[in-house]
Amino acid sequence: MTVGARVAMRTGWSRRTRQERLVYKLLLPVFGTVFVLATIPFVMAVIEALTAGSRGFVGFDNFATALSNPLLFESIKQTALYAAIALPVEILGGLGVALLVHRVVRSAALRAAIYVLAMIPIVIPQIAVGVVFRLVYQPDYGILNVLLGRTGADQLLWLSSPPLAMIATASVDIWQWTPFVYLVLFAGLQTVPSESVEAAQVDGASSWMQFRHIELPYLRPLLLLVLFFRLADVVRVFDHVYVLTGGGPGTTTQYLSLYIYRIGFQFSDLSQASALAVVVMAAMTIFYTIISRFLPADRG
Amino acid sequence: MRRSRRSTRIATAGLLLGIAILFAFPLYYLVVTSLKTKAELFAAVPSLVPQALNLAPYSSVLFGRGFTGLLVNSVIVGLSATVLAVLVAFAICYPITRLPASRRLRGFVLNWAMSLRFLPPIAVVIPYFAIIRTIGLYNELPALILVYTIFNLPLAIWMLRGFLDEIPLELEQAALVDGASRWQAFRSVLLPLSRTAILAVVIIVFAFDWAEFLFAFILTATPQAQTFPVGVQGLVTQFEIIWNDMAAGGVIAIIIPLTLMLIARRHVMTGLTFGVIREK
Repeated sequence: MTVGARVAMRTGWSRRTRQERLVYKLLLPVFGTVFVLATIPFVMAVIEALTAGSRGFVGFDNFATALSNPLLFESIKQTALYAAIALPVEILGGLGVALLVHRVVRSAALRAAIYVLAMIPIVIPQIAVGVVFRLVYQPDYGILNVLLGRTGADQLLWLSSPPLAMIATASVDIWQWTPFVYLVLFAGLQTVPSESVEAAQVDGASSWMQFRHIELPYLRPLLLLVLFFRLADVVRVFDHVYVLTGGGPGTTTQYLSLYIYRIGFQFSDLSQASALAVVVMAAMTIFYTIISRFLPADRG
Repeated sequence: MRRSRRSTRIATAGLLLGIAILFAFPLYYLVVTSLKTKAELFAAVPSLVPQALNLAPYSSVLFGRGFTGLLVNSVIVGLSATVLAVLVAFAICYPITRLPASRRLRGFVLNWAMSLRFLPPIAVVIPYFAIIRTIGLYNELPALILVYTIFNLPLAIWMLRGFLDEIPLELEQAALVDGASRWQAFRSVLLPLSRTAILAVVIIVFAFDWAEFLFAFILTATPQAQTFPVGVQGLVTQFEIIWNDMAAGGVIAIIIPLTLMLIARRHVMTGLTFGVIREK
């Protein structure tokens, strides 16, 4: 063993090659800074949640206050209902349209046109989406009531009667995100090898069997991806609801993000809001840890 | 048999067309409303087709209400945060894609970035609000630039990493064998090859920055630092709702990201799915 090799054995750092050391030299300063900047809020939220202004350290009082507020559970329930309305429609609708376009539309130009059309709702600002649907659902001026009026039906208070307000806000979610599900699943269908499909057709497989046994296995990881992204996004829902109903009527559309906003910035109880923020960040981190192993992206 | 298949095809095509019209109609109505005059607004039955090309609502929003300043803020914040995010993302992606980084390190960085994407903005903005007030950046553009940079990093990192993985390592190695330094190989081989990728990431990150609302809403208070979406929100929730101005604000907010996305349309899905879907 040469002296140089023995020296290199001494520590983990010098055992690495020059190139491997370069990885850390380049990565650490930038990644470290960003990591700290992104982690500070979590630490600050924990500190803020454990204190209360002039009273100083209060232990878990803020968590107790936050978690014993019945309005919190009301908002979680409403968020779950919103998801229960929007997500099945988005996923089944997106899947249905993807299959239809895949089987029926052959022209490349038409497919490209559908691609662009489907992209529009996804890329426009949520606030603008709120504006768009204000023009649809507004009681006196909204186009939906105008059309209802023309057919002679009664006008409906889309944004200010409880069940309708929830359906109206969820419908916006459906309008905006069904195209996303469509785009992901349509892209997935293009990866199904045409030989397997042709073989099945020669064997006389029905359209359903072709979907169930050949296409669905290819789509499964993408369906999971879409489901996880959409589930995480339901917790973020804020902009379009704020513009449409502001969380009302009552607390019907006061979904989780709107509830935390209300505690923190309308009731100015930042201690309680921090406790909520800590709980939500912890819950989402756990959620991510669980689902990350199912995500189809290559992890390394 | 043949005839029935043909009629099913026509029926499905009709169904798809119906869905497309249903989806496009709200946007169409937004544009129509933005072109209406005051008189048309108060018509008993709102018209579904534009009566005239009336651009008054646009000039009212941009000049009458002074939203030009908000547009300028949005552009400054968007451009700065985008450039910063893409530079940082490149600095992070270069070592994990071009150098022999361990699988664990690479996995850690990518997973950490993706996990940020799962944090709801409202939970993150509460502690940032406290920090930013303490350091005196409340209602200042740099606060927004900082927060936007950090929270669009996951998108920038995952997109860039996907693009960089597709550029063969051998190209730089050949340059290194020929005696180039790592810096030279980076400058003259990798950078020119990743130009399109960088442009795509810049466009998509900028569009996301442009659309952001909640951080801007909470971290600013006056038109000095407010962004365009915050202004549009104000048009909606005012007591007196002026529909045509509100619609014009919506159209302006939409046009910029929409144009950018059309330019970078091949990469939008890559961005939205964090590189899981690759367009060819």
